[in-house]
Amino acid sequence: MSGVLEVGMMLLHVMIVLAVLFLMPIPFTWVERKIAGHMQQRMGPMRVGWHGMLQPIADVVKLIAKEDTIPDQADRLLFKIAPIIALVPPFAVFVAIPFADNLYLSDMNVGVLYIIAVGGLEIYGVIFGGWAANSKYALLGSMRTCAQLISYEIPMGFAIIGVMMLSQSMNLSDIVNAQADTWNIVYQPIGFFVFFIAGLAEAQRIPFDMAEAEGDLGAGFHTEYSGMRFSYYMISEYLVMLTISVLCVILYFGGWHGVLVPLPALLWFSLKVGFFVYVFMWIRFTFPRYRYDQLMSIGWKVLLPLSLANILVTGLFVV
Amino acid sequence: MKLDSLDLNALKPKTMNQLNPRTEKEQGWIGWMFFSDLFAGLALTLKYLFSKPVTMQYPDKEKWRPYSRFRGHHFLRKDEHGQIKCVACELCARICPSACIKVIPFEDEHGERRPAVFDIDMGRCLYCGLCEDACPVEAIAMGSHYEFSSYSARDLLVHKQQLLTMPGKTPTGDAEGAGGTVVAASLSDDGTAAEASKQAQGYHWWDIIHRKGQPKSDRAP
Repeated sequence: MSGVLEVGMMLLHVMIVLAVLFLMPIPFTWVERKIAGHMQQRMGPMRVGWHGMLQPIADVVKLIAKEDTIPDQADRLLFKIAPIIALVPPFAVFVAIPFADNLYLSDMNVGVLYIIAVGGLEIYGVIFGGWAANSKYALLGSMRTCAQLISYEIPMGFAIIGVMMLSQSMNLSDIVNAQADTWNIVYQPIGFFVFFIAGLAEAQRIPFDMAEAEGDLGAGFHTEYSGMRFSYYMISEYLVMLTISVLCVILYFGGWHGVLVPLPALLWFSLKVGFFVYVFMWIRFTFPRYRYDQLMSIGWKVLLPLSLANILVTGLFVV
Repeated sequence: MKLDSLDLNALKPKTMNQLNPRTEKEQGWIGWMFFSDLFAGLALTLKYLFSKPVTMQYPDKEKWRPYSRFRGHHFLRKDEHGQIKCVACELCARICPSACIKVIPFEDEHGERRPAVFDIDMGRCLYCGLCEDACPVEAIAMGSHYEFSSYSARDLLVHKQQLLTMPGKTPTGDAEGAGGTVVAASLSDDGTAAEASKQAQGYHWWDIIHRKGQPKSDRAP
């Protein structure tokens, strides 16, 4: 009987996290558009609610009401599955993440490995989306996106190795607890730099969003998607951005540890993650995007050697 | 002609390099290594984030007062005795490219030539202003009213009485409520923006444009 209760409690926790994560992109879209507006000296949405607060709801209604087109020669099964496949990995990553002291879904001993592995599944959604759409722009876009994503996973993993060397554990709670005195950013500035840039590329945010390039390449791998299917891709993009922000905070900025003001741990965590999400958006509306060959050369010729050098230097100091 | 006293350099439009000479200076290898130009860009967008947007929220909250040269809805002028200036010479009707003005003269009680009928079909009008240029007594002119869409073409045929009551031109220069200002307004039921008060003191649009290195009072029209 207690087994059923435990499973029930676990399911409840999973439901809570799922609900929060599903609802997160809704204010994110509003915040992104308002920040986009004000950084460009204009206002974002202003009419739909008070300062456009109901705009995401209007967007959701529009997306739901849109016609669901499937191209003629498209692979129907893959076409329908691809957005859902793209949606699963960001949710799965949050299983291993500690939000505050002892506030996690699962205390994995190999948390970091799990996150990198599951994060790599995101690429399947991209490949299936581009392939199933049976359109040349979608195929080209998805091939480029796939190459970009797998190229930047490597420096991201190597940057995390530096963190693991400092904390001697793959368990994310241990990594955060090891930062109780000083945050890892002090010891691993280059590691954070590599991780952040690789994370930007993994999330396909500007300056690395050549694949979707919204208008240059006909929207890349999600060209042929409309309505709710397209919105699944958008949700997954926002969640990956959120995941990278959360990982930045946990691995380099002390997780839930506060600075001067004593606030609840979860609030500190949320504030730091919110700051990083803001930095993502700030960078998006400041810089132009990289050309594709520049993008690939940065991943392989700049970030990879930097991350290897980081491991070398960290190893010298740890030993 | 005083060509030698013309300062051509001052007349040329200022380029971004002149306004922001820091970008021409050599940044140095430390700047290169720590991405100083990227951070300068981020600082600029941060500054923009906390500065007032230049959007004019028409028609919900603000309304634009056009310049006096604006060719809006026609209006008929009266002289200082309150009598209509128009002498029904029909020059405006003849010069109108769309043939949308109809003038029928008559002799009023003082024995003067006045228009009995003065119709303008606003649907056909080009808003070119030729009628205003042709008028010898400066009776017909184009004013500052621009919100008169209607659901029926019949409502667009305006008569003499309506033309006499139309708002005129906005004042020029720095006068109260001059052209180029944005005043507070609100959306009214018929879809037009109603000004909050006739004497509303708005702001000149150039004053909120953020320009580095140029004084705020250096207004371009």
